[in-house]
Amino acid sequence: MKVRSASPAIGGSRPRNPVAGIAAFALVAVMAILVRPSVASAAPQAAGTDSGSYIPRSQYLSPVAMTLSADGRRLYIACEDSDLVLAVDTRTQKVERRVRVGKMPRGIALSPDGKTLYVSNEDSNDVTEIDAETFQVRRTLAVGWGPVGLTTDRDGNVLYVANTLGDDISLVDLKSGREFKRLEAGHYPEYVALSRDGSRVYVANLLARVAPVDRPPVSELTVIDTSRQIVAARVDVPGVIQMRHITELPASAGGYLLVPFMRPKNLNPLVQIQQGWYLTHGLAAIRPAAAASDGPKNYRVAEVLLDDIDRYYADGFGVAATPDGRWALVTASGANVVSVVDSAKLRHLLQNTPPARQQELANRLDSASHFVVDRLLVGRNPTDVLASPDSRFAYIANRMDDTVSVVDLGRMRIASTIDLGGPKEISRQRRGERLFFNASHCHQGQMACATCHPHEGLSDGLAWSLETPQLGRDVVENRTLFGIDGTSPFKWNGKNPNLETQDGPRTAMYIFRSQGFSPKQVNDLVTYIDSLQLPRNPHLTSNGHLTDAQARGRAIFFRDRTADGRLISPLNRCYTCHSPLTHYTSRVSMDVGTATHYDTIHAFDVPQLTGVATRQPYLHNGEALELEDIWTMFNPEDKHGITSDLNKAQLNDLIEFLKTL
Amino acid sequence: MERASAASHGRKILWAVGILILATGMAAAQNPSFYTKWTNYTSANGFPPGEVYCVTVDGNRVWAGTGHGLVLLENGRVQKVFTTKDGLAGSAVMSVAVDQLTGDVWIGTFGGLSRYSGGQFKNYTNLTSGLANDLVYGVAVQGQYLWVATTAGVNRLDTHTGSWSIFNESNAPFEEPWTYGISVGAEKIYFAVWGGGVLSYDRANHYWKPYTDPDGEMELVLYRNQGLIHNIVSSVSWNPDTKTFWASTYFGLSSYDGRNWHNYLTKDSGLPSNFINAVKSRGNQVWACTQKGLSEFNPTTNTWVTYRPDLKTGRGEILITRPDGSKRQIASSSTLAHNYILNLDFQGDDLWVATANGLSHGTRQPRKVAAIPR
Repeated sequence: MKVRSASPAIGGSRPRNPVAGIAAFALVAVMAILVRPSVASAAPQAAGTDSGSYIPRSQYLSPVAMTLSADGRRLYIACEDSDLVLAVDTRTQKVERRVRVGKMPRGIALSPDGKTLYVSNEDSNDVTEIDAETFQVRRTLAVGWGPVGLTTDRDGNVLYVANTLGDDISLVDLKSGREFKRLEAGHYPEYVALSRDGSRVYVANLLARVAPVDRPPVSELTVIDTSRQIVAARVDVPGVIQMRHITELPASAGGYLLVPFMRPKNLNPLVQIQQGWYLTHGLAAIRPAAAASDGPKNYRVAEVLLDDIDRYYADGFGVAATPDGRWALVTASGANVVSVVDSAKLRHLLQNTPPARQQELANRLDSASHFVVDRLLVGRNPTDVLASPDSRFAYIANRMDDTVSVVDLGRMRIASTIDLGGPKEISRQRRGERLFFNASHCHQGQMACATCHPHEGLSDGLAWSLETPQLGRDVVENRTLFGIDGTSPFKWNGKNPNLETQDGPRTAMYIFRSQGFSPKQVNDLVTYIDSLQLPRNPHLTSNGHLTDAQARGRAIFFRDRTADGRLISPLNRCYTCHSPLTHYTSRVSMDVGTATHYDTIHAFDVPQLTGVATRQPYLHNGEALELEDIWTMFNPEDKHGITSDLNKAQLNDLIEFLKTL
Repeated sequence: MERASAASHGRKILWAVGILILATGMAAAQNPSFYTKWTNYTSANGFPPGEVYCVTVDGNRVWAGTGHGLVLLENGRVQKVFTTKDGLAGSAVMSVAVDQLTGDVWIGTFGGLSRYSGGQFKNYTNLTSGLANDLVYGVAVQGQYLWVATTAGVNRLDTHTGSWSIFNESNAPFEEPWTYGISVGAEKIYFAVWGGGVLSYDRANHYWKPYTDPDGEMELVLYRNQGLIHNIVSSVSWNPDTKTFWASTYFGLSSYDGRNWHNYLTKDSGLPSNFINAVKSRGNQVWACTQKGLSEFNPTTNTWVTYRPDLKTGRGEILITRPDGSKRQIASSSTLAHNYILNLDFQGDDLWVATANGLSHGTRQPRKVAAIPR
């Protein structure tokens, strides 16, 4: 299925008249036939000109989350880079209000009475409460670490906030403004949804549960019972990661929960990229349990792919069902495309596929032809999507364009594009960021940089079988991109002296299996990657002082004698290889006894320890699921530092210190 | 006239009914009800065989820890026996605590600590977490903290930050690290330490205080009511109603209300045995799980009632020890699954009792028992 690019020029303020629309469609159709653009070359039109000048990232808006007023007249948009929330009049398509909130707003929710907005601020670990009419900030609510998705309950009494970095969910009493409960989620919970009947809050977790790396990933949909405010079910969604937004089809359309995902084949050698079907992208379709019979086994999970056989729609992000239940729209944030799902056809497919063959759906690249009825080219890096209350329009936030695409669902075309007012000049860093999220540089569009580094630079927590002379060997854990400036060389074998080498021809040849990036693009990309900062570390006290346990752990980290007074060889001291002068890495390769018979080398690049608390699993092959494992299971000969003389309490202290880095 | 006479007659009937009700009530008060209806869950009806080490009530749910897994009962029916195949950390389940805030169930096993939440287990072991030891005897929830009693000391897990702390002889007044039980009070947390007496941890000020046997004698009690009766403490129970903690030992029972100690032995109380596996107290009730039956003690009336199968015949018997030391024995048509009692919990007025041979559910019934001739 071809992607339909019928986007008017940026700044188009309202849907065109029907005649003009038909004429435009005809023109585009003729052009499409004549030019036959491939999907890969179908770049969205966008505001702005390239610029080499420095423009702070905070100048860009980066719309990432939206909500609509009940009457559909006002569109509220959280813009993560500018720390702004905007209100757009959907009739005039103009920004009519704006308010500054906390650091990096990533989620937005409206109270049931429509009078209050709640905005999660990922970098300031709080939620801003805003008067939805006047746009005045009322108060700031403290929550957990890295809040993203949020929703109120049906009565507007309790706010549920997914704390992405804390792996938990804060429950805030909206009368007092205090968090009164914190529930553990899965791994990196990002987005949440209140069920249509209000009885459940669903939480999608971005990463799979931490588990042995030689098994396919299993992600979790966390289900909270809103009456008891407890976790009612932890539903396994097998074989996938990167579940993001959630929508619930109306009961008349089957009542499925739809959650975008990525389905990696990371246990196969990466060379298979060039054969396709290596990274696939789709939807989990989950039938919720009846309220009276909760528990994970009462949730039926099916998976379908949104990709086509020779074209992939990378990095599913937003999903929205139209209120009439006819359509579900899914953004492919790496392909700049919205897939339009006919929910009746999807339901037909799911209901007519015998249970024994359901698993096939998760792997069949021809499934989408049964239920995807259209692909619409939108702006760069589409994230959130919403449907209007009358099911006539859909709104798509284009993060890298600072625009919102308006889809006329009756004509199934882009009706207009709302310019939110971001800078027209595109900085080098911004260009790099656009590249980072764009999968068109990969063979068949299977992946972008962001595919394996979701959440803007994170490690996906998976081990990958990268290129090697011996296929299947040298399986290595993915590594974070946060705070890596100054930590070269790169790769676990330390062969790439800089990011230009890492992201240039090597990426094209061994990962993307395509033409890759031009030298200018590589520079842009490196500029962006170097800008990625570690999130605030909640393990540090507010005054920066270490707790007693952390201070004891620090003393262990910097010790040069064993517990019985023997001198520790300089090469076996923690701080030698993990030098605090350079992000806690010596930037050399060391053999710490962790190589297995599947590895062709024994010395590995010493990883930086900054941000180590967020980087499960550990060691080059991801065998150590927890920090403890590094020393309790994988350091039998004291080659990874002298640790055999430490008792359990001392090991705990050491870990408490490491978590502060 | 007829109407007045009828009204008078009606009033007489009302008076008569009222007096009858009052008399019945007084009679009932004079004849306190006993736990005479026992339903037993044993290998005979599909329950895991052998010892039930612990039992915890959570609403209409009952969690029972056995040597062969964790049993979940709902409304008196066995719903599921969880084993290591289901993800449980170990087969022998020694303790269960339900976090009333989050609904999470924490399970102490001899293979580590498990958390059951949303139908899934997550495990914490000595190798993979900050857990001091995989032999976990006790678990208790205090707000966002989980306290864990192990053979290598006490752990505290901050469930919000994932930070583990270990308390043992190196940083707290543990004479022995082997800790059996935990009881969370409003101001302090109490720990039963095998060979180390009772330890309390002040929640606000973060200090530890030991309570030990003043004479230090293993078998003798030299200083009665001057301290803990023995240092081998099997469990501890804080009673918020009486502001008293109770400690069961293998050599008697002790209580401390902040000023006075009281010790109880078989020779001068209604305790059927000085070997006590667990104690639990609420209101005016103190329940001692002994190796020779389950005893209820009322400190206000100084009366003891012991439930058990007759040691010889296996028939149900209820032993009553009055304040003057006089004893009375009455028969019960049903009784506990075994006289070796390991643990109990309350479900309203009902009891759930862990025994050496199954789980017992006791219901208090109006007296319908016959006296056994002595």
